[in-house]
Amino acid sequence: MKARFIAGALAALAAAAAAAQQVAPPAAGSAPGTAAAAQPSPNAAAPAGSSPPARPLTPSDEAERRKLEEQIAKELGAPAPGSAAQPPAAGPGTGAALAPQAAPGQGTTGGNPYARLLLLPDISAIGDFALAYDGYDVPQSSPRPDLYGRPNTPTPLFQELELALQSVVDPYARADVFISFHPDGVDVEEAYLTTLSLPAGLQVRAGKFFSPFGRLEQQHPHVWDFVDAPLAATRVVAGDVLSGPGVDVAWLAPLPWFAELHLAGQDTAPATPLDPGASAAGDRLTGIARLVQFFPAGEATTVGVGLSAAVRGEGAGGLRDLGGVDLYARIRPPETRAYLALQGELYGRRFTGMPGGSAWGTYAQAFWRQSPYWGYGVRYDRAPAAGDSAPGTEQRASAVASWFLSEFQRVRLQATWDRRPGGKDALEALLHLEFGIGAHGAHPF
Amino acid sequence: MTSRLALLSAAIAATLPLRAAAAVNVVTTVPGLASLAKSVGGDRIRVESLSRGIQDPHFVDANPILAVKLRNADLLVDVGLDLEIGWLPPLVNQSRNAEIQPNGSRRLTAASAVAVLDVPTGPVDRSLGDLHPGGNPHFLTDPRRAGQVAAAIAAKLTQLDPGGQGYYAQQLAEFQKRLAADEARWQGVLAAVKGRKVFERHRTLVYFFDWSGIVDGGELEPRPGVPPPPAHLAELVERARREGVKAILVENYFDSRSADVVAQHSGAKVVLIPGDVGGEPGARDYESYMDIVVSRIAGALR
Repeated sequence: MKARFIAGALAALAAAAAAAQQVAPPAAGSAPGTAAAAQPSPNAAAPAGSSPPARPLTPSDEAERRKLEEQIAKELGAPAPGSAAQPPAAGPGTGAALAPQAAPGQGTTGGNPYARLLLLPDISAIGDFALAYDGYDVPQSSPRPDLYGRPNTPTPLFQELELALQSVVDPYARADVFISFHPDGVDVEEAYLTTLSLPAGLQVRAGKFFSPFGRLEQQHPHVWDFVDAPLAATRVVAGDVLSGPGVDVAWLAPLPWFAELHLAGQDTAPATPLDPGASAAGDRLTGIARLVQFFPAGEATTVGVGLSAAVRGEGAGGLRDLGGVDLYARIRPPETRAYLALQGELYGRRFTGMPGGSAWGTYAQAFWRQSPYWGYGVRYDRAPAAGDSAPGTEQRASAVASWFLSEFQRVRLQATWDRRPGGKDALEALLHLEFGIGAHGAHPF
Repeated sequence: MTSRLALLSAAIAATLPLRAAAAVNVVTTVPGLASLAKSVGGDRIRVESLSRGIQDPHFVDANPILAVKLRNADLLVDVGLDLEIGWLPPLVNQSRNAEIQPNGSRRLTAASAVAVLDVPTGPVDRSLGDLHPGGNPHFLTDPRRAGQVAAAIAAKLTQLDPGGQGYYAQQLAEFQKRLAADEARWQGVLAAVKGRKVFERHRTLVYFFDWSGIVDGGELEPRPGVPPPPAHLAELVERARREGVKAILVENYFDSRSADVVAQHSGAKVVLIPGDVGGEPGARDYESYMDIVVSRIAGALR
């Protein structure tokens, strides 16, 4: 059923794309001729190239053009223009992708020998390694997905190697693929298509992706300021990150600030042994809604507020209801590279139609990027205790120091004081190394 | 029913001229490009820059609020050569504006209008620092290239707004005439100091040197984006003394400590210059920005 709904959505997209293609085929063949148009002519008053204007601004022209478009659409049996995704019209200036130095009449003999290379997607690898010290038995007393060592023994860890392949697919969409190699094997962490040309502020992601729920849950670990995730994410929301195949429709509201509404349907990852309460069986279909907004607050500050809700099928009529609030504030005077980032999230969960009850957890953190090379952070997090701990709340206080050797390498030292119910305290320390090679797409804010 | 339809059509038609009369909404990545666009677009365009002159253009935040500005852009003018690689691509993706994507019909990458310097000829990797594999993107400090970019913007505006063809041509001609007069004046100011050697912080002034005849003595950064170690600074102090380097040029968004140290030991002067239009209060537009850069450098070298 869910497969059909995804296939349906994809088919609809494909149909829209195909229709758009019929209306205006991408003018790839005309590109070589337009390379010269990218060169400023001494008399720029003359209209560059001979292609028709992309959007005439006089009313009569526009009406005429629209009439013509409708007539052509009718002749082709395609939907009326404006009702389907339109490919970006290729006009003069699109030759920018070609060697800008190539003046008319002085082409390269034999063409470009690097043609295959030019078509490669951006390829990058990000490696994460750590040296962990834990003053207690983490899997027993404070179970979590990763980044802990053997009790009371400094333990070298291989955390992850992420391989990313990123590129536009065609004029209508781009694709981002992230493959994660980790000690347990290999996963396709994410692999999704993102539309680039839907009308009405819409953008659709289809494929396998991290659910649009919360802030930290959607980021890859190498984006985090801290080395590990707060306990609340895995104890309250899902045993591993909420992710899986599906479709995410995001609408950017026509407002003067950034307000984006996501509605997603996914088959989320099966429960891990760490998953709070649920059985691995169940249909796992998950519906997610998220509203995320960013506001400017003065010259230096940006405030982000997100509200997320999700319902996940747990089988036999049982449901997992999830809610989350995330707050983010970044204070950065424009003339510096230093900034202060404040971030906090609150997650709540309730099982209905099944045992498990409800739970909540939270974290709050501050990270000060003092200079291009140094940054420091503190974090508090709390979540229901797990493992052999007494029932109650587990709380942690963490501090991190980051040394950025360059934009592509950082070393972090993180120390955490963990307090489980009954006054059981323990120290954790992580020395973490991360590097990135290749062209990795910039991350969203 | 028919009359109601007619009324509706009339209402829709009434909104059309409004849209048609609206100014072309131009968004640029840096304020220097915004100033050039304003010079040729005049009253027919509304222009806004995503970054400010007091900012290091390599390190602007990919703030989603900027994606909102891109959503309604009729034209996006970027520098290119990966100057904005760390922040522009996610914003363009978020904007939902299909035609401002790279190679889109409403995207003008200014680098496509100029001859690019510092294009690596051999193999490139990041042991060379955080360099721009496509070539040096800081070309707006050369007024000749700025003029070429202005012409490319005028051509693009003409293509998007054919009704303004004559207007853009006239504005461009006027701007180029002004720029030619400016250039003669700037060259006059610089004539006495031509051939003098200076240091710069980052390779931001290669095009300025190419145009002005001031000689590039080297950078404080041993490699792009790499902070200068004391050994490198000590070597620069010796070179400054030996080769008579009189000035160290630093954009005001950089930390000037390493420049101060070299200056203190070598007797050279640290010259703080605005990084772009708006980089300091007097740099209101491209011409006043270049006025400041030229007069300050010439003043320090005299």
